[in-house]
Amino acid sequence: MTTRITGGRVFDPANGVVDVIRDIVIEDGRIVAAEGPTKSSDDVINASGCVVLAGGIDLHSHIAGGKVNLGRLLMNEDRAKFPEPFGGVMCGCGGGRVAPTTHATGCRYSEMGYTAAFEPAMVGANARHAHLEMADIPNLDTGGFLVLGNDDFLLRMIAQGEGQQAVNDYVAWMLKATQCCAIKIVNPGGINAFKFNGRMLDFDEEGPHYGLTPRRILNTLQRAVTELGVPHPIHLHGCNLGVPGNVKTTLATIGATEGWPLHLTHIQFHSYGTEGDRKFSSGAVEIAEAVNANPHISIDVGQIMFGQTVTVSGDLMSQYRNHGIADPKKWIGMDIEMDAGCGVVPFAYRDTSFVNALQWAIGLELFLLVEDPWRVYLTTDHPNGGPFTSYPHLIRLLMDKPFRDAQLERIHKAARSHTRLAEISREYTLEEIAIMTRAAPARTLGLKDRGHLGAGARADVVLYREDNDREAMFATPRLVLKDGDIVVRDGAVVALKKGRTFAVHPPSDPLMDKRLERWFDEAVGMKSKHYQIADHEIRGGEGPEVVESTPETSR
Amino acid sequence: MIAPLFSQHPFAKSLRMEPVPPRAARPPSRCSHGDIMTSDDVTRDGAERIVTDVVCAFCGLGCDDLEVAVRGRSIRPVKACAEAGRLLARTDAAPPAPRIQGREASLAEAAEAAAQLLKASQATAITGLGTDLDGLRGLFDLAVTAGASFDHAASEGLFANLERLSRRGWISSTLAEVRNHCDLMVVFGADPDLSYHRFFDRAAPAGGEAGAAPLFVEGARRVAIVGDILSDATRRTLARHEVTEVVVPPAEVALAARGLAALVAGRDVAGIPALEGAVGEGLKALAEALKAARYSVFVWNAATLSPRDTASVAESAAAMVDALSVTTRSVVFPLGGRDNITGAHQMALWRFGYPLRTVVGGGVSRHVPELYSTAAALEDADLVLHASSFRPDAPPEFGRGPVIALAHPDTVFAREPDVFIPVGTPGVDHGGQVFRMDSVVCLPLEALRAAELPSLADAASAILESLRRAA
Repeated sequence: MTTRITGGRVFDPANGVVDVIRDIVIEDGRIVAAEGPTKSSDDVINASGCVVLAGGIDLHSHIAGGKVNLGRLLMNEDRAKFPEPFGGVMCGCGGGRVAPTTHATGCRYSEMGYTAAFEPAMVGANARHAHLEMADIPNLDTGGFLVLGNDDFLLRMIAQGEGQQAVNDYVAWMLKATQCCAIKIVNPGGINAFKFNGRMLDFDEEGPHYGLTPRRILNTLQRAVTELGVPHPIHLHGCNLGVPGNVKTTLATIGATEGWPLHLTHIQFHSYGTEGDRKFSSGAVEIAEAVNANPHISIDVGQIMFGQTVTVSGDLMSQYRNHGIADPKKWIGMDIEMDAGCGVVPFAYRDTSFVNALQWAIGLELFLLVEDPWRVYLTTDHPNGGPFTSYPHLIRLLMDKPFRDAQLERIHKAARSHTRLAEISREYTLEEIAIMTRAAPARTLGLKDRGHLGAGARADVVLYREDNDREAMFATPRLVLKDGDIVVRDGAVVALKKGRTFAVHPPSDPLMDKRLERWFDEAVGMKSKHYQIADHEIRGGEGPEVVESTPETSR
Repeated sequence: MIAPLFSQHPFAKSLRMEPVPPRAARPPSRCSHGDIMTSDDVTRDGAERIVTDVVCAFCGLGCDDLEVAVRGRSIRPVKACAEAGRLLARTDAAPPAPRIQGREASLAEAAEAAAQLLKASQATAITGLGTDLDGLRGLFDLAVTAGASFDHAASEGLFANLERLSRRGWISSTLAEVRNHCDLMVVFGADPDLSYHRFFDRAAPAGGEAGAAPLFVEGARRVAIVGDILSDATRRTLARHEVTEVVVPPAEVALAARGLAALVAGRDVAGIPALEGAVGEGLKALAEALKAARYSVFVWNAATLSPRDTASVAESAAAMVDALSVTTRSVVFPLGGRDNITGAHQMALWRFGYPLRTVVGGGVSRHVPELYSTAAALEDADLVLHASSFRPDAPPEFGRGPVIALAHPDTVFAREPDVFIPVGTPGVDHGGQVFRMDSVVCLPLEALRAAELPSLADAASAILESLRRAA
């Protein structure tokens, strides 16, 4: 069957199509070339008055796995306050806003026009769990970023001076074993240092036991993913998260990349200065300048939104530091299986707090001062800065200067005088929103048939009714199609579909199998073969959708 | 969905592995606590296979290096602790058929009968819940569709621990971290060896070889128990550790833990009779050792303490972790996880946003532990759906209405259930996934023999189909 979407204003920046009224034609779940006139057999969707975009892609959202489940455990009040509104066959009997259940996660994303979201911190030892959860999320394609850079096997290898090739083999083995699609580093060396009672680790400081600097760990893994041809560069949660003055660390990190591409995630939390009477200031201008000047750097913001949330992070070193400001007063920490760690700390961001208000402003400054929308992605680091359901509000803040100014008027007075936000006149265009929420994340993740509306793309298509209130517009799409089928009408889920899971499978030397067998037997205390996740374990036998990796031939 | 034919089963390959090697090539296998099962009595008729690296789903420790000998449908443990050996052993006997009120029936008929009961019920309690994640998914689907509360047979200890974990939280660790970092382990209550036979072997090996755990402990590890006298088996396992025993009767374990927490916090415990003399001296020395340790680990087994004492011990342990963490590292490592209760807890959280002891259906969920614990739910239920695929545990006593049992084929019923569907065992008859007690590692199970029984997931799915047809 052919579906033809006619008369809509199409924004497809990946294919150079910006605000053009044209038909989108769908056959068998994919977009095909729109040649010739409408046939009588076509199923026609009249999109006049609508903006037509590809399905939204969130490249950084904590949607699945052990730490999210700990968040759910701590946030039962939030869960009770926000039950799923669905009845009948749509019922998942779930809910929650800050750590929603799997079913609610899929439905809520879908209702905003998103068709893919990526779990950015999958711990290898917990990967099977995270994949099982992701398989339970309807209407979304997903993938996991594997957390490396604090794992004892890797740190030992680097400390012992093993060559890059061995590191590459290990990284490739781990990606395949855990069925992940990118590498994330959380506080390089820092989570590991905390296991040896290290409380801070600066970018050029040697950590305990292995004597490695975060810089060295970062560069080694940057080189590994580049040489293995993993599409997404290292996804870095840098050192000193949340520490006033960390803007220096972040600038040093950008300066240390030696030309290798790097993605700096939730950079808002890493853009703090120490100026002013409160020793807390915005470093957004310096960070944005550095990002603008370095085309190999991309960022996502991790915008904070006022209200209750729960912060779930692999960075136990930082979460331990912050646990005193937990709200409500409870938190969970965990050292995890020679791989990483996690810390789960509930938190309420308040516009009456100087620090929170300035964090809000810093995030927006970053969005507005970074010039290239292809290198900045829209995130709240769900749920760490705020729940993903706040995206329509965030989009309006970016697209609507008077609205933004009105919001700015409401925040802590002293924070207002510490931000340049009022001076920034930029308003994001629909094209720029389409880039930062669709085309750019697809490109950086190597998803060739997602994030655009050209022939061959998966038919993940969204129709938003044109509305000057951009928040209302992006909160309730008129139609959302997943693989060509309508899953949302007028902002409400009408069908549930299974998503897919993306993975990369770069090859590794079989000798690495033998080394890791021994490591797992002797050090970890489980069998390497039971750590590895077979293809048939993904989505009940469906297997992963393998994203092409293009290894560098010259090593 | 019916299980795929055996030859097409994804795990079929592993079942053809490893012919039995010549006798001399294989040393006798041994369990951690000294029981040796030799392979002398293996019948070498060419039909028996040894399967290695078998994952055990029973106690929650998640050992994954067991060995069994399989011939036809019979399974004989070769390397396994006594409990796992008992639960893995199988004869060649043909499995029973499903029954409706004692009469044999087909799976479809039994599923239909179960669906009718579910449809007629106003208050269904799902009990047992001992199954792999696929089975749990099936049970939760049934609960959502028909409306039911659910609880796991072993949840009492979990909920006692949640008193602390969900209300205030703690810092915990996983097996490999404990194995490599722990320089001082403090156990409260019973000797873990009684329920988790290989616990010390796996969590606190003495090491010695380069590259083997512990990688980060200098000198001998210290293990202290505040509670029972250690068993001989544990003493042998801990022969190369520094062992301290602060012997207190079971009823005073929680008090001793509170005393230790007070001492760690710098408070005095003088004047408490139970904490005087040798016990007091022992606790004082232990408090000093904890302050000096680099990575201390607190261990307790909720199943051997009363719920009140468990909650108290968990509170004391977590409070000590809080106090010690200011200057050094310290974590909790609660023992638990029997019959994949950890998986049931995890899946309930990700699907419903609540732990077990929740009722779902009609589009809503309500988590009220006091109403939906198995014992409380049975007081109001008009139907019990009992699920137990790991071991032949009978349904709880219930006289208020019918009972549906999706249960182990060897289950002995005090009263014949209204519907009985015998189900295969995950990790014996079919593959699956289960969580380890530390709640991080989820392990894959593989079939050891051709399945002749439906899995619990198959049975639940057949009932669900009947329910939907009826809707």
